[in-house]
Amino acid sequence: MQFGRPLEDRSRVLVFARKKEETLPESDRPGEPRDEDARLLEECRTGEISAFERLYELHGARMKSVAANLLGNLADAEDAVQESFLKVYRGAAAFRGAARLSTWIYRVLVNSCYDMLRRRRRRPVEVAAAGESRETAGFAVPASDHPLRLSLEACVRDLDPRRRAAFVLFEVEGFTHREVGDILGVPEGTSRTLLFEARRELQRLLSRRGIVAGARR
Amino acid sequence: MSAACRKFEKALARGEAALAGLEPHAAACPDCRAKLLLWKEISAAAPALRKSWESPHLLPGISRVLSAERAKAARQQPPPPRRRFAWVPAAAAAALFVLSMIGLSIFKPGESARDPLARPSFGKEPLLGDETLKEVEIAEANYLGSIEKLSQAASPLMANPDSAILVNYREKLQLLDSAIGDLRAQLAGNRFNTHLRKELLAMYQEKKRTLEEVVKEVKS
Repeated sequence: MQFGRPLEDRSRVLVFARKKEETLPESDRPGEPRDEDARLLEECRTGEISAFERLYELHGARMKSVAANLLGNLADAEDAVQESFLKVYRGAAAFRGAARLSTWIYRVLVNSCYDMLRRRRRRPVEVAAAGESRETAGFAVPASDHPLRLSLEACVRDLDPRRRAAFVLFEVEGFTHREVGDILGVPEGTSRTLLFEARRELQRLLSRRGIVAGARR
Repeated sequence: MSAACRKFEKALARGEAALAGLEPHAAACPDCRAKLLLWKEISAAAPALRKSWESPHLLPGISRVLSAERAKAARQQPPPPRRRFAWVPAAAAAALFVLSMIGLSIFKPGESARDPLARPSFGKEPLLGDETLKEVEIAEANYLGSIEKLSQAASPLMANPDSAILVNYREKLQLLDSAIGDLRAQLAGNRFNTHLRKELLAMYQEKKRTLEEVVKEVKS
């Protein structure tokens, strides 16, 4: 199967990805120190709504992206983000800070997404009907949209949830393996294993779709 | 080029390190090179999966939900937890009460303490009540009983005192008997008079003590 996009398009995707990274807020960039964490956590513990608004400013966009890639649905992603904020609000007082606040909120988010996926499995017909119209409504796709990106997106959705989470967090969102481990509640080595398994599965799924690097150009 | 080259799949099954070792082979095998390239492209293309869209209602929605949660928590706020050691003062008071009761039972007032003369309330009222009068009469009877016994022991000595001190005791006893006689005469028409009863009891007490001293003196 031939996907007729020239090589330049592929490099444009990479350029887009790099640009995207550069335009991310400072706190959203992987590896940036988050000194504000402790102060923000203290404010969150007091239940100050403004602290949660600040938390949203810092992490909201990235949380939405993680949730959208895990759930494959923008409206569900927003629901998951909202649910996560409620859980963080309820749990902030008891949070002892074994992980950083910024890691913990993603852990809460990923668990909320798992819960939503489980609920969705219990009522697949209802959700499938609603999902069609909600799938990509309002989603700003990159100008240089590409068959590889589209196929990759579809294949990521077919991954096992844990591998999908590891792939999304590391490859898409740029978390380190240590952070991915903290978020998924697994050791760093397990994060690497999950990522490798995800990539291997994606390679297999993409090949099955006829996407082979040499053939698609 | 070999269409059936399975080296990439074999390397994939062995792990990431094996894939790195596949590079020299991939340089000569277009099939494996394409697969290896796709493998690298997956990582390179992944950041493009990051999603960004406007959600103007999400933050207000979150704020609303959190405010509602806060209000709900404020409504359902349980009463402040009881202090951990709040029971200590109560327990201390109870222990003090129990100890007091034990002390009272051990150091129960004796016969002398039941003497109406020893009571602080005795004598404050000009007239005695029926109950108090009964108690006073019982106390007088007790004194008279004691005085009678002591008089029997002391009377032979008092009849013929053989020392100056015994002579003095005899004169004191005679004075006391005279005073007791006068008070009794006054009380005959005024039994409830507190002052007279008090005076009489004091006289009885003094007479008893004097007789005790006489007996003690004789014995010594």
